[in-house]
Amino acid sequence: MLKTTPFHERTSALCVSHAWRRWAGHIAASSYELSHEREYHAIRVAAALFDVSPLYKYLVRGRDAARLLDLIVTRNVQKASVGQVLYTPWCDHGGKVMDDGTVARLDETLFRMTSAEPSLRWLADNARGMAVEFTDVSDATAALSLQGPLSWAILESLGAPPLKYFRIARARLRGIDVEISRTGYTGDLGFEIWVDAARAVPLWDALMDAGRAYGIMPAGMLALDVARIEAGLMLIDVDYVPARKALIDSQLSSPYELDLAWTVNLDKERFNGRDALAAEKARGPEWQFVGVEIDWDSLESLYAEVGLATRVPGAAWRMSVPIYSGSGQAGYATSGGWSPLLKKYIALAHLRAEFATPGTQLEMEITVEHRRKRAAATVVKKPFFDPPRKRA
Amino acid sequence: MSDVVVISGGVDGLVAGYLLAGGGRRVTVVLEQDLPAGTPGWVPPPVARKLGIELTVRRPDPWLRAPLPGGGALELWQDMQRSVESLRRISPHDAGKWPEFSERMARLGALLERIYVGPPPSLVDTSFALRVRRLGRRGMEDLMRTLPMPAAELLDDWFESDVLKGALGALAVADLQQGVRSAGTAFRLLHFHAGSPPGVFRAPSSNLGVLLRGRSGVTVRSGKAARIAVSAGRVTGVILDGGEELAAGTVVSDAAPGRTLLDLVEPGWLDPDLARAVGHIRSRPVAARMRLELERAPEWPTLTLAPSLDYVERAYDAVKYRRASAQPVIDAVADGAAVDVVVQYVPDETAVSLAPLEPHLPLITRQTVQYGQPHQAELALDQALWMRPLPELARYRTPIGGLWLCGQAMHPGASVAGASGYNCARAILRA
Amino acid sequence: MKRYDAIIVGGGHNGLACAAYLARAGRKVLVLERRERVGGAAFSDEVFPGFRFSVFSYVVSLLRPEIIRELELPRHGLQILPLESTLTPLENGDYLAQWSDHDQNRRELARHSPRDAEAYDEFGLLLHRMARAVKPLLRVTPPDPASLDPRQLLELLSLGQYFRGLPEKDLHALWKLLTMSAADYLDEWFESEALKGTKSASGIIGTLLGPRSPGTAYVLLHHYMGELDGVFRAWGFAKGGNGSVSAAMAASAQAHGAEIRTQAAVSQVIIKSGKATGVVLENGEEIHGAYVVSGADPRRTFLGLVGEKHLPDDFAASIKRYRFRGSSAKVNLALGELPRFTCMPEPGPHLRGAISISPSVDYLERAYDDAKYGEISKRPYMDIVIPSMLDPSMAPPGKHVMSIFVQYAPYHLNGGWSDARREELGDTVIDTLAQYAPNLKGAILHRQVITPADIERIVGLAEGNIFQGELSLQQMFFLRPAPAWSRYRTPIRHLYQCGSGTHPGGGVMGASGRNAALAILGDRP
Repeated sequence: MLKTTPFHERTSALCVSHAWRRWAGHIAASSYELSHEREYHAIRVAAALFDVSPLYKYLVRGRDAARLLDLIVTRNVQKASVGQVLYTPWCDHGGKVMDDGTVARLDETLFRMTSAEPSLRWLADNARGMAVEFTDVSDATAALSLQGPLSWAILESLGAPPLKYFRIARARLRGIDVEISRTGYTGDLGFEIWVDAARAVPLWDALMDAGRAYGIMPAGMLALDVARIEAGLMLIDVDYVPARKALIDSQLSSPYELDLAWTVNLDKERFNGRDALAAEKARGPEWQFVGVEIDWDSLESLYAEVGLATRVPGAAWRMSVPIYSGSGQAGYATSGGWSPLLKKYIALAHLRAEFATPGTQLEMEITVEHRRKRAAATVVKKPFFDPPRKRA
Repeated sequence: MSDVVVISGGVDGLVAGYLLAGGGRRVTVVLEQDLPAGTPGWVPPPVARKLGIELTVRRPDPWLRAPLPGGGALELWQDMQRSVESLRRISPHDAGKWPEFSERMARLGALLERIYVGPPPSLVDTSFALRVRRLGRRGMEDLMRTLPMPAAELLDDWFESDVLKGALGALAVADLQQGVRSAGTAFRLLHFHAGSPPGVFRAPSSNLGVLLRGRSGVTVRSGKAARIAVSAGRVTGVILDGGEELAAGTVVSDAAPGRTLLDLVEPGWLDPDLARAVGHIRSRPVAARMRLELERAPEWPTLTLAPSLDYVERAYDAVKYRRASAQPVIDAVADGAAVDVVVQYVPDETAVSLAPLEPHLPLITRQTVQYGQPHQAELALDQALWMRPLPELARYRTPIGGLWLCGQAMHPGASVAGASGYNCARAILRA
Repeated sequence: MKRYDAIIVGGGHNGLACAAYLARAGRKVLVLERRERVGGAAFSDEVFPGFRFSVFSYVVSLLRPEIIRELELPRHGLQILPLESTLTPLENGDYLAQWSDHDQNRRELARHSPRDAEAYDEFGLLLHRMARAVKPLLRVTPPDPASLDPRQLLELLSLGQYFRGLPEKDLHALWKLLTMSAADYLDEWFESEALKGTKSASGIIGTLLGPRSPGTAYVLLHHYMGELDGVFRAWGFAKGGNGSVSAAMAASAQAHGAEIRTQAAVSQVIIKSGKATGVVLENGEEIHGAYVVSGADPRRTFLGLVGEKHLPDDFAASIKRYRFRGSSAKVNLALGELPRFTCMPEPGPHLRGAISISPSVDYLERAYDDAKYGEISKRPYMDIVIPSMLDPSMAPPGKHVMSIFVQYAPYHLNGGWSDARREELGDTVIDTLAQYAPNLKGAILHRQVITPADIERIVGLAEGNIFQGELSLQQMFFLRPAPAWSRYRTPIRHLYQCGSGTHPGGGVMGASGRNAALAILGDRP
């Protein structure tokens, strides 16, 4: 059987589409309404509420907690201040990404780590000889993500303290003890709220209640997917194969190849994959993970050739689509879709380094009326959408 | 300041130390425990040659004495003909087979003798494959069949006498948590045969330890390593129990891989996957070793109590469930009035009983017991040759720059004396 | 007198596969089967009125997808139904279930050990890689490593190259699988006793070895072999029982013109000047053919049908040494109602999968300890399926058939097998199982107990070994069944072997039959 989240009582009642999907062994709403469109727009104009409880969550506690996490992830955890949250990938010894998530420093010796894959075994393997203990709080801790330009207004109305980008603080919302972090997966102003599973439903009610005046909407994975592509954020299993699931070496990716060079702190004396990453940095990564914009005119002419009006995907897609440079293959896109905000057809793509410079003209394969065609596409800088309010 | 610090608890570290000194390195050996007078195990001739020492080798004769149920004993001697005569009294059939068996095993043993001097062959090594082919059809078939075989099956193929099969089987499973019916134990019979004349399946002992202790050319000091210091992925020295740091760019350890890599090296330098594999190296102790001081010398140089293959197998059954064998396998080697006794299988040193041995012994005046896995890594097919102790470590080098392993867990190890130290030193000098 | 190209001795699934391939290549083929119907150990029968059983082998474990495809077995009636879960009832009333759905499985494993749940995927991935590495070997004729024949040297070289082409870490992982015990191997991965017990059980099937015996890890791999060709669902249950596999092969062979004669027991291979020219039946009839292919086990083929006097001494010695040591028995039950397992009493999907009585490694090892010294396991390992849950036509409506594979029941039983010992075995099995499913005794309408001695007597498999010889390292690949004669050929010219006693052997795989046919066609284009 699949698990339900602590918010299920509420989310199931709201999910009129009955469109559910799996997420880490749980059921998660694809969209609540029949179409995800309004949910998407709520992210960009008001506030959207996502149930992100299926994330794996671990509390890491002890004298060596910072040391352990520092050994595991690529960023510098020891230097993080209390109340800081780090987004970071982590690698195996070969410098290939196993997972990505966040590490929040709740206290000098207490951290919460979130991950997409279960990580207990990896924590244990790395903790050999260290004074540290860790607890899987995936089920015990429920999580909501409140995203959108009005998200702060809602939290403020509930008495939340102001928070800087990638900070976390304790708060009491309508008598419910929570932790709020200014983080998210939409590239917009947004927060994630962590609560004891037993208090999940009251928290949901409090937020929905306070948010009503601000146009809050519960939103599902389809809306989130569009937003995260606009924000240029990669998704495990879609945009990269985690190292532990790779069947062949060519499926592996390093942080450099995923545009995460900024997360790799080679100043640290040791962490998993350090030597391999230093060597890769020195020689330059083979691949880059970039944004690609599909040229509208080119797309239009391909459809015009067969007598059709231009069509764009209604929802974000997740598959491997070849990208060409002349007669050769330059790489492949792994996620893409129509940006309702930018009015552009955008995609996230892995390109061989020589084709990855912004401005490079390429072609992406699209299927028009049962035939494979190539539409002109341009490499652009990520994120596609980056409003100042995100970090203001 | 030294170039090399050797952490040594046995002869291998000293062998490596002296050979490195011979190669022009300044060497300090931290001797963690004193060496016994007699060094068990075959010392491959190149080891002694390279050290320039003249070994005194002890080969007990008879090398096997197994009491017969009706009185008397089966005795196998260094001399083939005497063994055949002794066998003839209990089984003419086995007596007839003994020379051919010995000769065929000796051919395979000779192959092991060659590959034990030098780093382990690789699994896809063409020259190793060619060397195997040079054994000829008979030899190759013997090798392919014998290596993965249970000792019991090999012995059943050749012999009928329970006493003979039981005693040889017992020697094959020495210090292994397996029984004689377990695949891969025939290989161990060959392993302990290496270095001995045809028909002798007990490794000799020597005064290697004494000779090494008497040498000069390296700084030997006693102490206990507390930590191996590492910086930027390379060793920088060894910190002793008292806090003293011996700086060196190369550290060689004959301690077990688990202790060296997981306990002495600070966490975080090793690939966690490799660390996990190191933790999985099987080194379960199964035998207690006792040294008995007797009133007078016993009447035998060796004594093996393992009257049949089933007896050995049943002794093993107990330890699978962490119990002591009701009737353990006992193997004793006398050295004057002192006797070294191995009692197998026992789950700890408290479970040792010498009762079965008592009728054969003069009065015991003193006894000491040790319990442990002397091979550091159990010698089984998945922990032998290119797999010893792990494929990633089989070449004596570790992933930490300048840190090398040379103990009994390394190829060939497992009671071959000094060869891992020799192979390791040569690898260091070549690097 | 009619002359055949190929006379195939034994209509087991390998003999039939070989026949079908030869017939398909235009050869005139005659299959001779001693019993009334073909199938050998892949045999379905209405043992009790209205109740049909896969009498001996009971799951399609490793039937090669290329055989299903090339012989068009589905067109000849084969339908394989997925068998996707394994339920291990535990002695404390709990259970461990392994489900085919990844999320469901992970959740269940995590209930026993979160660490194991995480390790499980990685373990699966490694074994998947290993299975991929080994798979090509299933379809090659093993070269003789000591041979000087240029063609075989070339094969050896290409085999060497194949292995050198594999990543070194995969080779080492493979070596570990070949040499380790299932228990030691699993200890490196898992901590849950129930999981280790159940996984290690697959390593002991068909052998007289325990989970702590080196060499048993390799068989773990076989479970992943079928998954490689996921779309074929090569692991499952054949509609109508395992006799359907043989029936489909027979139909395919006949469609290509092969003749099949039943109740035609071969007593002897006719050998003239070192060459096989035909066979003599038990009734004295002589049948001649250009070559003879034996699907019987190596002992029966060489020491029985050929005779030692025609064999080189070394070869005869190898065959005599070749180990069978059957250790498995079968109990088939006709049930008036479904068993209610204390740990999961209601009918449900768990009854459509396997039920494994393997609560811990120690449990299995103790079962082996009994057998090692010639006794029936006091508390045996059992692998149970209820075929009527998958194919309702196996039993009258509302009633069920249960197939229980039992280990250990050693062929070399102290005092030998007798009717009384057979019933004692049946009682031991029922008593043990009833501890987990208390309503079982009352549900039994009929019971059939098949000992290794029965398997030998009825099917002809020496010592009742279900694999025609143990799958141990010294009896595998170029050593199966004997060094220098692993290539389906024999020291007798024009006599070939195609049974499970040749590479790769074991299970209802059919690869030996296919490989043998290809070797024969290569020799005699």
